[in-house]
Amino acid sequence: MRFLKLYLVLLISSCSIHCFSQSADSVWVEKKSSNLSSSYISSLIYPGARLGVELPVNTIYISKIRKSGKTRVFTKDRFVTANLSWYHHPAFHDNVYLSVGWTMRRTKSNGFMTEFSPEVGLSRTFLAGTTYRVDDNGNVSIKKRAGYYYTLFSVGGGIGYDFSITQRKPFSIFSKFNVLMMFPYNSTIYLRPVVEIGLIYKPFGFLSLKVKSKSRTK
Amino acid sequence: MKLIIPFVFLFFVLTSCQKEKITIGTNVSETFYLDNNGASMRLLVEGNTSSHTFLVFVHGGPGTGSFIYNTPYISQNIENKYAVVYWDQRNAGASQGNSNGDHLNLPQMTDDLKKVVQLIKHRYGQDSGIFILGHSFGGLLTASFMTKDDNQSMVKGWIFADGSHNYPLNDSLTRQMLLAFGQQQVIQNRNADSWKIIIQYCNTHTSNFTFEESNQLFAYATNAETNFKKVEEINLATLLQDDPVKNDWPITSILLNLRYSSDAQFNRDLANTEFSSMLGVVTTPTLLLCGKYDFICPEGLEEDVYNRINTTDKKIVISPISGHNIMLQDESFFCKEVNTFIESHQ
Repeated sequence: MRFLKLYLVLLISSCSIHCFSQSADSVWVEKKSSNLSSSYISSLIYPGARLGVELPVNTIYISKIRKSGKTRVFTKDRFVTANLSWYHHPAFHDNVYLSVGWTMRRTKSNGFMTEFSPEVGLSRTFLAGTTYRVDDNGNVSIKKRAGYYYTLFSVGGGIGYDFSITQRKPFSIFSKFNVLMMFPYNSTIYLRPVVEIGLIYKPFGFLSLKVKSKSRTK
Repeated sequence: MKLIIPFVFLFFVLTSCQKEKITIGTNVSETFYLDNNGASMRLLVEGNTSSHTFLVFVHGGPGTGSFIYNTPYISQNIENKYAVVYWDQRNAGASQGNSNGDHLNLPQMTDDLKKVVQLIKHRYGQDSGIFILGHSFGGLLTASFMTKDDNQSMVKGWIFADGSHNYPLNDSLTRQMLLAFGQQQVIQNRNADSWKIIIQYCNTHTSNFTFEESNQLFAYATNAETNFKKVEEINLATLLQDDPVKNDWPITSILLNLRYSSDAQFNRDLANTEFSSMLGVVTTPTLLLCGKYDFICPEGLEEDVYNRINTTDKKIVISPISGHNIMLQDESFFCKEVNTFIESHQ
């Protein structure tokens, strides 16, 4: 047991030394605006839409000096997001889902960006057709607003371009691939791949939040 | 406020999709759902609803879904005369629900089928003539339906296509057929190595099959028909040729439902289920269709139904080029027999 503790201490120490070696950090608090996003979402040919808000949590400005002597500069942003989405699958269902997520975005100095975002949420489907009930006496009635609530998870990753970096325009464009997982769907899960193409608008002073920012040179 | 308006609009759009629309015509395609005990089951009605004659496909599996039967050939050769109802049973195809696995059992599904028939009559008129067609596991489900209470009075005919109404008998017949064909194939030196494995298995497992043995026989039977060149191979790739995107297949729902249903506990309960002893109550006209190379549900099952039902209005026909999916492997034969049967009993 003692050896295990010692091993863990050494492991954590070596990781810390490795990760933060040769780095110079400075930390400050800045006020950052929130972003609005809207996108077209699609599974194969089935259309949908999505509206969201991105609340900034922290930003790390990183300068990395390469062996060649060149400096690579990029930014890591973290956002808490809230999104309302909908897609339409004819003869199957319409799905409206509300989700919150954690977006990890990395933006290069040339404006190119990549991101990864897990989300969790609640889905409400609406069956794509009149839904009937038949009682034990054979009487038929229509069930209104037929559909189901599901717990929803989503993971997605994508690429984009931030025009605010190179052209000082307050928006970015992006494309993402997401996988939705809903459950309990017929006592199992339902998976759905979703492609997303959209726009992130960065209005000045919109829902400004104090954000912990960090500058790091490696 | 501006943000709320589109979503209020969206809510009305979503609920307007659920308004009742019933079409009487010669080229109809409409989808609606039956909600029963935890499941919302999809029904797609296509074809000639003005004929007031409906052929209900009761699919196999459990869990296969009805999409596979909706082929261009059936559209052109049956739907032009009658309406075809593609029903996705609970936990299959495009059927939806939450935690409803506890209701996945044969009595519940028999009740579902009864309500499907009642719903069709409600939508298209009580005078609608309904024929039910059970394929594979659908044979067991339709046998359950036909032998329960007075259900058979609701339909004009029963079509039993590559079906099974007696799982223990099914296992024995599959074993016998694998042995008989296998020995011939070994003598003719055709796929001898794979047949020898099957023969050895059949020789060491002779009766009172466990659930696992039954599954192994099923696996051998599924592969067996692919050894005969005249039998068209049906697999996922061939099924996906029917343009699933154009036909709005919810592909992940179909696959995940199939996976859940085929592994569900109730399959163990089905292993000992039989309706042979109850078939004497059936007096409804019956058409029995079978593929000569159907190892999964051998023709002995159709013969058993034929011998036990209590009607003289019955016919058994065997396709010489078909395996377990007669409606896909011998389409012209299937459509001709089904149309002739319906025409003479509608």
